[in-house]
Amino acid sequence: MAHILVVEDEQPISDLITMNLKLVGHTYSKAYTGPEAIETLKQERTDLILLDVMLPGLDGFTVMEQIAPLHIPVILITAKNALADRIKGFELGADDYIIKPFEILELLARINVVLRRNDQTPASFLCDAVEVRFAERQVRVDQEPVDLTAREFELLEVLIRNRNIALSREKLLELAWGYDYAGDTRTVDVHIRQLRRKLGWEDRIKTVFKLGYRLEVQV
Amino acid sequence: MRFWHKILLAVLTLFIAALDISVIMVMKKSWQLNMESEKKRAASEQLLIANNIYENLDSIRARGNPLTSVLLASVAESYGDYYRRQGIGLELRENGRLVYPQPDGGAAAPEEQSIRLSMPLPDPYQHIELSYQREIGGLYEQQQELNRFFVMINWIAGPVLAVLLFLLIRQLTKPLKQLSETTRTIAGGDYSNRVNLHSKDEFGELALNFNRMASVVEQRITDLSDMAEEKQRMVDNLAHELRTPLTSMQGFAELLTSANLDREDQMKAGSYIRSETVRLKNLAFKLLDLSVLRHRLPELADVKVARLFAAVGQTERLRLEENGITLQTDSSIRAVRGDPDLLATFLVNLIENAIHASAPGSTVRLLAYHQEGEAVLEVRDSGSGMTAEQSKHAFEPFYRADPARSRIHGNAGLGLSLCRQIADAHEARIELHSVPGEGTAIRLFLQLYNN
Repeated sequence: MAHILVVEDEQPISDLITMNLKLVGHTYSKAYTGPEAIETLKQERTDLILLDVMLPGLDGFTVMEQIAPLHIPVILITAKNALADRIKGFELGADDYIIKPFEILELLARINVVLRRNDQTPASFLCDAVEVRFAERQVRVDQEPVDLTAREFELLEVLIRNRNIALSREKLLELAWGYDYAGDTRTVDVHIRQLRRKLGWEDRIKTVFKLGYRLEVQV
Repeated sequence: MRFWHKILLAVLTLFIAALDISVIMVMKKSWQLNMESEKKRAASEQLLIANNIYENLDSIRARGNPLTSVLLASVAESYGDYYRRQGIGLELRENGRLVYPQPDGGAAAPEEQSIRLSMPLPDPYQHIELSYQREIGGLYEQQQELNRFFVMINWIAGPVLAVLLFLLIRQLTKPLKQLSETTRTIAGGDYSNRVNLHSKDEFGELALNFNRMASVVEQRITDLSDMAEEKQRMVDNLAHELRTPLTSMQGFAELLTSANLDREDQMKAGSYIRSETVRLKNLAFKLLDLSVLRHRLPELADVKVARLFAAVGQTERLRLEENGITLQTDSSIRAVRGDPDLLATFLVNLIENAIHASAPGSTVRLLAYHQEGEAVLEVRDSGSGMTAEQSKHAFEPFYRADPARSRIHGNAGLGLSLCRQIADAHEARIELHSVPGEGTAIRLFLQLYNN
């Protein structure tokens, strides 16, 4: 997975983001000020930067100007939803932005989109005897190909991208089937059952009481 | 039409009209006088001629010759020839009948440009009438020459006058132009522009008053924009203050309920939710205090300094101990006039700020003393201090000199705003002295109770 630099001066927010990154398998570094961020970037190979606009020392925009030659994708985190800030961010080459307060799943989704756009997503995912190849949309168990329907594969991908986080049935419908799908949440249950059976993941895909499902993988 | 155009045209018109009218009147008078003197001359000449003819006729009659028409004509002719050379025509009529010159000969001069006088000869020749006609073409010519000269002068004087007036008026209305230009730039938004005019006339006065007005307007505008800026900053800050704890509370709660966290992370998430809740609570209460204070009058009473200090010390005892800081109180006055609760809140807030700014082991001093007729309450620390820029904003809501540090303490950045409001409620002055690295002293100047 990717190595992400989190530049955020608020300790709680910084910890919140990094805890989530850790859950879904990313590695991270933290910086609390602009100069610190620039210093870290000089020393570490970084795939993505989550950058707060309001920073002590140098603000986020100045940091962006200074690190532009590195061509590292940037997602701006801003407490202001001012249009001017967003436009300035995009002009400076930001890949996306997210406004506080944000939902974790939204942040993770945006991170995935930006990573995919920059070809930074891993080609495959390995767990137990299961190997998932995203590009080929193939799944193997013990090297044997397993036949998954398109929808099952979508669901599996969503679970993997948000692993260790419980996803409600509604959220899964939205992410794997699309916003406009008018199906029943029981459809999700049926597909989850299929996945568990086909991959032998009865214990990996947990039912979280009152919430939904969670793919549990060692972090 | 511009003002100087109007002045130029008005003055030019008036001047030329006045000049022309007076010149025309003078010319008319001179014409009249000339005519009169010509007429007088003509009259006296006619009289002289008449007398001469009379004498001639007398002497003819004395010689016994009868007075025939032919004789009359020949007498008249001798004069007539002489005077004709001087441009004077003579006519002699006997009983209304023309005897000289012959009706056919001697062209009569044109009637308009001559003076014509007729008179009978003295007795006994009253039936003989002498007509005198004098050419005054020269006079007319002279008058015409004058007219021509007058028109020429007009043609020359007009433009010369116009040019001189133009230069003069331009010079005189220069201040107006300057004023107008300045007002235009001010209207365009440059409130710092002033009229640079130092004359002692009305324009100078106007410029002076104008500059005064511009200064007042500029001051107002600056005040207003400062106020608007402060308000905007407060709203921005409030939004930030709310978003940050809300984001982390929401996020950590989500994590706790939905994520597969280990024990350590669960503890961490829980404690963040708690500390951010405390932060929001502090913010809410401070905002509430501020708004209550805005609508409440202080209950002024005799506040015993010793009791006030003891209460404040008691409230802050725990926090002081936790941070390893000593509170040293020193009072040289017995009492101050104020609201005991508000003054306690005031001091508690300042002491908390002092604790945050100070290193463990240092001392915060709480002082009350008398200075130039006022009672002073002072909180002094030897902590990190603030720069001049930081001091300037210190009393603004949500302003933090050291954001990272004060957030650790769950500080909302409203303490000093509250202090300022308490001071305002007491109509008391508040002063802040701070030197980076040396410490901060904040003084409240209250009325002495015994006064």
